Amino acid sequence: MEEFVLRTNNLTKQYKNQFALNKVNLTINKGSIYGFIGQNGAGKSTLIRLVTGLAFPTTGKIELFGQSNKTELIEARRRIGTIIEGPALYPHLSAADNLEAHRLLKGIPGKECIQKTLEIVGLQDIGKKKAKNFSLGMKQRLGIGIALLGEPEFLILDEPINGLDPMGVVEIRELLKKLNQEYGITILISSHILSELHLLATHYGIIHKGELLEQLTASELNGKCQQYIHIKVDNPDRAATIMETVLGTTHYEVLPDGTIKLYSHLEAPSKVSKTLTDNALLIEQFMPMGEDLETYFTNRIGGVQHG
Amino acid sequence: MGKLLKFELFKLRKDRAFWTLVFGLIAAAVFYPMLIFFDEGFGTDPVSVRDLYTTTALGGNNYIVRLVPCILAGFFISSEYSIGTMKSMGASGNSRFRLFSAKLFVFSLGAAIISLIFPVVMTGLTAILSGFYDMPDLGYFLRTLGLTILYAAAFSSLMALAASIFTDAGKTIGFLILFFILIDSILYMLGQEFSFFETIYNHSSFKLYLDISKPEFGSGELLKMLLVPLITYVAAGLIGSFIFLKKEIK
Repeated sequence: MEEFVLRTNNLTKQYKNQFALNKVNLTINKGSIYGFIGQNGAGKSTLIRLVTGLAFPTTGKIELFGQSNKTELIEARRRIGTIIEGPALYPHLSAADNLEAHRLLKGIPGKECIQKTLEIVGLQDIGKKKAKNFSLGMKQRLGIGIALLGEPEFLILDEPINGLDPMGVVEIRELLKKLNQEYGITILISSHILSELHLLATHYGIIHKGELLEQLTASELNGKCQQYIHIKVDNPDRAATIMETVLGTTHYEVLPDGTIKLYSHLEAPSKVSKTLTDNALLIEQFMPMGEDLETYFTNRIGGVQHG
Repeated sequence: MGKLLKFELFKLRKDRAFWTLVFGLIAAAVFYPMLIFFDEGFGTDPVSVRDLYTTTALGGNNYIVRLVPCILAGFFISSEYSIGTMKSMGASGNSRFRLFSAKLFVFSLGAAIISLIFPVVMTGLTAILSGFYDMPDLGYFLRTLGLTILYAAAFSSLMALAASIFTDAGKTIGFLILFFILIDSILYMLGQEFSFFETIYNHSSFKLYLDISKPEFGSGELLKMLLVPLITYVAAGLIGSFIFLKKEIK
């Protein structure tokens, strides 16, 4: 049985008549990068706030490192690092002073960790510049640095790549991968940038309207993402007719830009391309593809909304 | 608890609002006796340090002790909510009671420092300028300073309680300044109508603080002067920590 870092049991948070979370049973295994996906107001931040002790559950149980009673949970939270709804910085302090304040808060002995952390997040040359004058990317990196103080076993990062430029996003992704692979840190990361999560996460949890719809591993997700052949030809209407009459399939769709998604004949793409060219169609694009996380997520919550 | 005190002390040391208030008060405490001396001429008619201490330093300090720490409460406590650092404190693996206690203790220390600037700096400078003429009795001086610290702590406990409720620097400062300006008048007026409120007011830190400059205290009076602020500090501190314990940090 896999060792878990966080497990919730029927976790519910109710505000008056509205459920922010409704009987959520979530498990995060040790060593995983858990991508937490949901729309605004789906309940991601509420769950993170409950786990970190900033809010209190209406009913249900939280187990953090196997600890679940009130006092044990407080102790267990010393083993986590957090960014919750943006980096928590003292704007009038420098990066080093911000780290020093949080070092004292966490009771970490010795000041060596400050320089080391600044180097990890690439802020070692920032000097005495105050945090209020930092770019958003620098603030995010300092926020991650603060979360890393004390060598936490579990990082909880709520939207850590918000506002970062493309290079910053890549840097943070590589940093998180390194922390996970080299230091074995378990990471819970919520983000709206699903393409980034797809490059990072080993596990996923999809939350919608306070309910955890699904938990799955990256390989399960890849298996579930619908495969298709992406086709672009000079005459999409004729191509559609040929697919129905010659290939005998209606399992396709023609997009407004004329691109065709063919969901059948995945095992024989050469037969499809030959059929099209034999029927005097000019193929401009032809490639097997899979849906990405974004499409899967949209379909998943769309199914709930209309189902 | 020790690490949390170090954390809060570090923040107080780096708090610009605190240092602005401290330097502003030091400047006022330096300039006022200088004005007196320049006005009256050095050495012609020596200024009584005792009189200046009792009337100006302690009398003027009434407003400082009640009002200036309100500004610090806004910046040192409430602003932690708006800048989001209260979230990292709440998630740090420390109990809410300890977090609040450490913050209250260090905030009280800041309020105590603020409360001592006028009596100490103004009196010290006046003593030097007047050649230590007619100095206040050392016992009286220390007793009034001790009581000033005690009442500053009592008021700061009430301020920390309000700062935890409002969680916004502007609202906290506005409410507290109005509260401390009006509370005496409100309790006094209520006391005129209902004897219960008169008793409350007469035994409150607000009223008793006005008596700290009395030269002598009757039997049991000093005990009351000590116990009331202590009880205020503990009671407001406990209520504040209870509110913080139940509060969802946003």
